[in-house]
Amino acid sequence: MTDTTNKPKKVLLVDDDYDLLEQNKMLLESKGYAVVTADSVDSAWKVFKEEKPDAAVLDLIMEEHDSGFILAHRIKRDAHGKTIPVFLLTSATMVTGMKFGITTGEEKEWINCDAWFNKPINIDELSTKLEECFETRKM
Amino acid sequence: MEEQRPKVIIIDDEKGLRIGTQRLLQSENFDVDTAENGMTGIEMATGFEYDLAIIDLKMPDIDGISVLKEIKKAHPNTICFIATAYASYDTAIEATKLGAFTYIPKPFTPEELLRNLNAGYERRLLTLESERLKKEREERLLELAFEKSRLNTIVNSLADGVFVVNRNGELVLFNPAAIKYIELNEIILGEKILGILPQKISELLAKILDNPDFENKTLSAEVELKPDRELVVEIKCSPVPHPDGSLAGVVTVIRNITEMKKVEYVKSQFVSMVAHELKTPMAAVLGFLNIILNPELKTTPEQQTDYLNRSRNRLQGLVEMVNDLLDISRMEMKTKQRELKELNIGEIVKGTVDFLELEWKKKGITVNSKYEENLPVFKADNNEITRLFTNIIGNAIKYNKDNGSIDVEVFTNKNYIVTKISDTGIGMRPEDKARLFSEFFRVKNEYTRNISGTGLGLSIVKRIAESYSGKIEVDSEYTKGSTFTIYLPFTK
Repeated sequence: MTDTTNKPKKVLLVDDDYDLLEQNKMLLESKGYAVVTADSVDSAWKVFKEEKPDAAVLDLIMEEHDSGFILAHRIKRDAHGKTIPVFLLTSATMVTGMKFGITTGEEKEWINCDAWFNKPINIDELSTKLEECFETRKM
Repeated sequence: MEEQRPKVIIIDDEKGLRIGTQRLLQSENFDVDTAENGMTGIEMATGFEYDLAIIDLKMPDIDGISVLKEIKKAHPNTICFIATAYASYDTAIEATKLGAFTYIPKPFTPEELLRNLNAGYERRLLTLESERLKKEREERLLELAFEKSRLNTIVNSLADGVFVVNRNGELVLFNPAAIKYIELNEIILGEKILGILPQKISELLAKILDNPDFENKTLSAEVELKPDRELVVEIKCSPVPHPDGSLAGVVTVIRNITEMKKVEYVKSQFVSMVAHELKTPMAAVLGFLNIILNPELKTTPEQQTDYLNRSRNRLQGLVEMVNDLLDISRMEMKTKQRELKELNIGEIVKGTVDFLELEWKKKGITVNSKYEENLPVFKADNNEITRLFTNIIGNAIKYNKDNGSIDVEVFTNKNYIVTKISDTGIGMRPEDKARLFSEFFRVKNEYTRNISGTGLGLSIVKRIAESYSGKIEVDSEYTKGSTFTIYLPFTK
């Protein structure tokens, strides 16, 4: 949970599905985050540069199969971006059996995000993980 | 051969001797012809191959040596005897030099003659037999060489790579395709090649060569010889046994399966795309239900109704998508039973416009249509053609602006029945146009946000049009509108 006495943390939420975008925005807001949204990789980058969010939650598959990966890499290479937690959302694992893991160094290097979540998200899990990441970064 | 009587010709100008010798030989079971002078003798003995010829040395017209020469020229295997009373040692030598078997001095006794003739005949039979054997051997060698070169030609023409190593891993046979696949420029017969082969192939070969109790089992593997599926081959190594069952070597066949792998890849891409497209609406519905059911979020009844409506839309879309996918799959597998009928495209387009009337009227759209009279018939499945135009006209309505218009025109042009459907809708950017017919592609921008669709409609349209040897063209200007032109060929 965010500390209510401080300014709420700003989360950039990116998804090209409007229903999911709206749902996740609502869920994140219910946990006290300020949410800025974008529905494509390009607009997300613009919002990211303008808003300098404290975290980014990105859908994995948007215009292309790897849009989310590419955006994550771009953010992680940015001076501000490399200081913030980046999460990926995916619906791929459940259906395709594709396994995502960020346990090994190589995977972490390749996937380049701090955590990934299956869609629809469990907001309690996601916000707990966010707070964890904020805590680690404070230290 | 055994029962055949030896054929003899007697060439002699002396009548008494001719007849006497003939009688003697006939009684000894020879088949005898005679010639009364040299010229007749040449004619007879060159026109027919006699086993034996007895030639008188001195004849009035032409001498025996000339006769001998002519006969030998025509039939080298005819055994010739020179007979003469005026014998000299020199003529005898000359006659034998020219190919006479021997020289018989006149007068001769019957025993003397028969002994000579029998010896000559035996020689002839031996010569003939040895020639026959020689010829046979030559023929066999030729056949063998031909067989070998034929086998080589076949092996060399194979599109699959083939190479054989002996049990020491030395190369004993290969074809050009094998060299191409394993990219060895300098490869020499007899060379040990396990070390220079791609690792996976060496491993397979070694598995067979290193195992003394090899089983007669083929080992196979898929090897990516060039990355990114550019060259994928299937390797099959089979042991070659000696007649006694021990291992002689290994034959390896390399088959290019790149195309198959590409198809497989596209298929798996498609499956994962389908999975994603199915999963997203489900996740959306599940998300809405979670929100409504979550007491902490305290959604209002209005919000709940909105979410339920949107969930219903997503599920509706899901059902449509599954139907579209089933249609595509039926088209791909050609399991769809086509009922070919003579159709009037104009009537079908008009029927579709009427069928969708509620939709376009709801958006205040005007439809202007023009149908050429006496359109030729088009032989096709009614359901498929109706589906094609429903998708196109449906899009013209869906992606149109409120109070816009749709122009429909059906006419003939050369060998095509052309249907042109123009809308005043949102149009599309060139980069979107390029991907328009790909499965699941949907133009995404601020205008299309609230338009539902499966991303499969135009892909189905294209499949249907192409299955009738037709084509479809798109002309579009972003924010101004699009024109879809469908060409269906008719036979005059």
